[in-house]
Amino acid sequence: MTRWVFLADLNRCVGCQTCTASCKHTNATGPWVQWRKVLDFEAGEFPDVSRAFVPVGCMHCAEPSCMEVCPTTATRKRDDGIVTIDYDICIGCTYCIQACPYQARFKVDRQNQVYGGGKQMGHEQKRENWSRRGVAQKCTMCSDRIDAGLAEGLTPGIDEMATPACVASCISGALQMGDLDDPNSNVSRLLAKRRHFRMHQELENDPGFYYLYEDADENSTADNPSTDPPEMAAEPAGMATISPRLQTQWDWRAAGNFAFGGTGTGLMAAAMLAGFFAPVMWLAALLAMGFVAMGLFFVWLEIGRPLRFLNVYLNPQTSWMTREAFAVSPFFGLGALAWLLDSHALGLAAALCGLGFVYAQGQVLRFAKAIPAWRQKGIVGLIVSTALCEGFGLLAALSAVAGRETMPGHQAALALAALIAWRFLAWRSYRTALGAAGAPVQAFRVLDGLRLELWHGAALALALYAALGLPGHQAVLGLAGLVAMLAGWHFKLALITRAALNQGYAINRMPARGAGQSSPGVKPGWTRA
Amino acid sequence: MNKQTKTSLDSVASYCYQCVAGPDLMRVDVQEGVPVQIRPNVDAALVHPAHGKVCVKAFGLIQKTNNPNRIQTPMIRTNPRKGRGEDPGFRPATWDEALELICGKLNEARNKGQNDESGFPRVAASFGGGGTPTVYMGAFPAFLKAWGSVDMSFGSGQGVKCHHSEHLYGEFWHRAFTVAPDTPLVEMIISVGTNTEASSGVCGVRRHADARARGVKRVQVEPHLSITGACSAEWIPIRPKTDPAFLFALIHVLLHEVQRDRLDVPFLKARSSSPYLIAPNGFYLRDPATKKPLIWDLTSDSAVPHDTEGADPAIEGEFTATGIEIGPDDKTWQHKAIPARPAFAHLVEHIRQYSPEWAAGICDVKADVIRKTALDYLDHAHVGETIEIDGREMPFRPVAITMGKTVSNGWGGYECAWARTLMAVLIGGLEVPGGTLGTTVRLNRPADNRWSSVVPGPDGFMNYPMNPTRKGEWTEVPSTRHAHQTLVPLAANSPWSQALGPTHLAWMAQKQGFENLPKPTQPDVWFVYRTNPVISFWDTGAIADAIANFPFTVCFAYTHDETNHMADVLLPECTDLEGLQLIRIGGSKYIEQFWEHQGFALRDPAAKPMGEARDFTWISTQLAKGTGLLEEFNTAINKGAAGIRLFGDNFDFSLEPEREHSVEDVWDASCRAASAELTDGAESQGLDYFREHGFRTKPFPKERWYLYPAIVEKGLRFELPYQERLLRIGQELGARLHESGITWWDRQLEEYEALPHFQNLPGLWEDALEKRYDVKIGDYPFWLLTSRSMQYSWGGNVGIQMIHEVAANIAGHGGVMMNPAAARQLGVAEGDWVKISSPTGETEGTVILRQGIRPDTLLMIGQFDHWKTPFAKDLKTPSMNSLTPMMLELTDATGSGADLVRVKVEKTTPKNGGQA
Repeated sequence: MTRWVFLADLNRCVGCQTCTASCKHTNATGPWVQWRKVLDFEAGEFPDVSRAFVPVGCMHCAEPSCMEVCPTTATRKRDDGIVTIDYDICIGCTYCIQACPYQARFKVDRQNQVYGGGKQMGHEQKRENWSRRGVAQKCTMCSDRIDAGLAEGLTPGIDEMATPACVASCISGALQMGDLDDPNSNVSRLLAKRRHFRMHQELENDPGFYYLYEDADENSTADNPSTDPPEMAAEPAGMATISPRLQTQWDWRAAGNFAFGGTGTGLMAAAMLAGFFAPVMWLAALLAMGFVAMGLFFVWLEIGRPLRFLNVYLNPQTSWMTREAFAVSPFFGLGALAWLLDSHALGLAAALCGLGFVYAQGQVLRFAKAIPAWRQKGIVGLIVSTALCEGFGLLAALSAVAGRETMPGHQAALALAALIAWRFLAWRSYRTALGAAGAPVQAFRVLDGLRLELWHGAALALALYAALGLPGHQAVLGLAGLVAMLAGWHFKLALITRAALNQGYAINRMPARGAGQSSPGVKPGWTRA
Repeated sequence: MNKQTKTSLDSVASYCYQCVAGPDLMRVDVQEGVPVQIRPNVDAALVHPAHGKVCVKAFGLIQKTNNPNRIQTPMIRTNPRKGRGEDPGFRPATWDEALELICGKLNEARNKGQNDESGFPRVAASFGGGGTPTVYMGAFPAFLKAWGSVDMSFGSGQGVKCHHSEHLYGEFWHRAFTVAPDTPLVEMIISVGTNTEASSGVCGVRRHADARARGVKRVQVEPHLSITGACSAEWIPIRPKTDPAFLFALIHVLLHEVQRDRLDVPFLKARSSSPYLIAPNGFYLRDPATKKPLIWDLTSDSAVPHDTEGADPAIEGEFTATGIEIGPDDKTWQHKAIPARPAFAHLVEHIRQYSPEWAAGICDVKADVIRKTALDYLDHAHVGETIEIDGREMPFRPVAITMGKTVSNGWGGYECAWARTLMAVLIGGLEVPGGTLGTTVRLNRPADNRWSSVVPGPDGFMNYPMNPTRKGEWTEVPSTRHAHQTLVPLAANSPWSQALGPTHLAWMAQKQGFENLPKPTQPDVWFVYRTNPVISFWDTGAIADAIANFPFTVCFAYTHDETNHMADVLLPECTDLEGLQLIRIGGSKYIEQFWEHQGFALRDPAAKPMGEARDFTWISTQLAKGTGLLEEFNTAINKGAAGIRLFGDNFDFSLEPEREHSVEDVWDASCRAASAELTDGAESQGLDYFREHGFRTKPFPKERWYLYPAIVEKGLRFELPYQERLLRIGQELGARLHESGITWWDRQLEEYEALPHFQNLPGLWEDALEKRYDVKIGDYPFWLLTSRSMQYSWGGNVGIQMIHEVAANIAGHGGVMMNPAAARQLGVAEGDWVKISSPTGETEGTVILRQGIRPDTLLMIGQFDHWKTPFAKDLKTPSMNSLTPMMLELTDATGSGADLVRVKVEKTTPKNGGQA
């Protein structure tokens, strides 16, 4: 077998960005789209400071999290390890961008035009690639050069015309590529005699990009691969472009899907559960479907290629986004039928599909490996419990407004109180785990600034008051429900749009330069809290 | 002879020579007539030191060529008033109209005489980029040659942004216009502010990367952790402008703290001025008969001329000797049986005061660190070992010291250049394998051959074409506005000398004049190409004012910019990828271009010119025709003014002098001459051959990287450590200036010392600013420095979006870098908008925090502050150039200034909407 991988000798790299520019030329990428770039790291404190230049881009992982989440199967992995994107299938949902912990993927919605005036330059016109508009794009490892070179009997990584442009243009000899499975390849030989690491190895993507940082000590028994985790630096100086940054692909529209999708599915579940105690409130069921539809509409507005949206169904094997789509389809079908036929049973089935949908939403976040605040264990329970809180809360509010009881008052209040308590515990569990694992500093600031304890406390107090059956309990219960629902929206909007700092970059070891020594690496912008 | 493989039709051979570290070879991919992609020239991998690669700047050429902001037709100014606040009112014009206007002005000037009433040329020209415009201006040098007297003293950064002292003293001591380690062999480099990885091009980067891979120890001595510091084994964060103290202390360790026999004593005796006996007035004690310097021969126990065969010179001790001493203007003293010591003994005594402990307080570097650095240097020097290069046995001394700008120019540049070169001499490491090497010559002749430039001069040293200082020979009336022949003997008088004179004096003179120099006039016609002094020099406001007063300025214009805003005519020329030219490649050349081949490379047009842009050779031809100089122009081309002489011993492809020739004819003849030169006349392929192959070379012997064989062959010595010649010309120059009533250059005369003393350089700056601007220096607590950027340096590419985009990946671009501890004290945080003020000006930008900078130092990378250049004017990037004053007090004897200034920082709100 063959596995093509990149390798960067950090002793050699000078951060010149020739590879960056060469990649931009070869692939005609748009302004500020850099499939390859070189980062500028600094570690230590004056005067004991070291600085390193680290090329990054698609790591062509053996376990690519981007491929796993892709709902369309546009992202695939070739037998030789190159991770590819089929621009004709991709719908531009950018879930892969949220799943790539190396920030290697881009989506561009406009034509390439770096200067104003409404007209492209000659080379921009000649090399415009419309198939890449509105879809995910990233390093292809110059697979066309590799394939053409192999067809001519050339060796990628050795013969320049068969080698990715970034490697071929590298002026210091830092960037290499070759076959990891060939023990005699250029990269295998280097890995055998130099100590190295791979970035974010703890995320278990098995990335195909190796960083050499010092010569192996012949007398040492240590393995050449280093798995030492880099030290977190909460307040790094001058590394804003390396530290975690807020994802910008999913905005309020995506947050709307999580909010309305959760509320809608929760409402359907609440309405159908209440159907055991009183006639089903079909208005609530219809409203539930409306909420979910509204959320999906928002998402449809956000994807880059909305007319291809049906491709979302192509990857049920691994993608929770596809599963989310599969769950929501019967939700609407069964829900509509239930309403038409006044069938509580069909309504219950729809509610179950809704729960499947919201569970899938939780999993969508859990598999978004690029976003530490999303991928954290506990997020699924938090999303599901939040949805149920929102749904039950909204049903309570609707009941109060409509002046009818869908459940006996104290049971409804107790149920809501229990859900709020569950949700609070889920939140605390999630937050504690996130704090222990570590996350971008700004993510903690956003999450802790939400004051969810206050929201939960208020909703819980109101629900418990309503459970006492005192005067005005129905209105208070409605208010409790409203607070519970708004708390959920408040959280999700922040989670998706403000706490969604990406992984950022890290360097496990600062390289030895010439006769110098390597030193501890750094993970800027991260902390435990 | 290398023959390259045939290239595809869609790929055009070219070169990138945007920076002084080129040329590098590349190919341009063309799609339906549009250049779309740059890529390395793999065919050149076997001959080019960096394997046919080009750096990031070359990749900017696609946008540079297709940039919609380009000037696309000749333009003529309609508003006679000039200045930053004036709209030039440029209107499009035809080439005929523009050329008629320019030639009319030229003819008018020529009719009045080539020089004006002050004796200065009526035509001036300014080119930027350290000489690189020549490789893009086609046959324009032939037009200037045909014209005759041209003033090139209006600089655009020369002297203040370069390694000025290194250029002058380097050429003087070892034919080293620039200096480099013998990187492929070196084991240890002490890099004092050199930014190799940002400014030595692809060849330098590759050589040093290979050196690191084999474990070279490079110690970076610099106030901030530059790109090169990042790539070094150690970083020593020295206090700004205290480098001479550090280097003097290194010498102290070698002279006073180790056994003498650890130095290369045989080298000192045979190849340096160490044994020359010094007479009481500081000049050599000489043999009365031959006037040769005397040495003390330990074999005969007597004083003998330095070149006495079989002598074993003493380098230490005191001896009684008789002889004569010759001072300035042949003043002679007779000495009989006086005590005399060799120059080396004087050196030892001179350096005694400069211990590591003394330097520690000045440099803010621990004495132990200085001492260890010196001892490491000695440990790696391999004194006594030899190596064989091209079958020749030579000393092997794999240690070197390199210097960056601001270290190697301005006050202190002499001390540093002397100390660095002396450190090499002490261990026998100058111009030998592994050691400290010169790269090329620019002041000595011939310019393309360092070995041939080794001509015996006085006293057993190499000759040097000093501007004369003796009575009757001195140039009392300068022929250039910066008076380089009058003020700077070391600047010599080669075609490059004007650029190496005190170029800021030409600008200062426009503002204030200088007593007893001719009245500072403006040139009747000023040509400007690939330079933007309103941005790239100091005191930029004053520069703009001076340019606004020039009566007729012609700018070969790429886009509108701050300098051509003041122009009368803009001429759009074919830029890098549109013009045709053949240049020399190979041999050894700055910054670290050490080739094992030499030859020629073609810049073949990859695209039709945008709009009405014209090839520079066509423009030059039209100017020659319009001024009636066609015959002189063609003759100049024939003689090599366009890069290669068209005739030789066994070939002649000369152009008919009387006839107008097409661009292709000019370069076809050049290609034929190049083929003939490379094959001793056996072949004569022309343009078609070069279009197919891109370049053509023949071997260049590696032994010629080293000057040592030429020195040995001619029985010469390196003129170190003692500077008797400089002492003499300094005194002569002083006498001449005083005879002319010029006393404002007296401070500069102090630099002419036989053994340089340490001077408090930070104090010099502080005092000068306090006195001139009546400020308290304590109010300006930071030293502001700059640093080159590989993405931008020399590229003229600030208007290129891609360059801006990729440069942003490297910290420091786009703002002012400061230490977090210093920022905390000021209440300033990352990303804050601040005003940085010096006593002369202010600039604004965002704060970039980095640990890798001293708390007393700020850094602004590159040169920005644009207000006219499209795209760049929106970057809102601060620049130190508007903060740095031009002051005579801060100008050294070579006419250069160092790029630093004291500033203060205040948080403020951004003007005009803030940062980009």
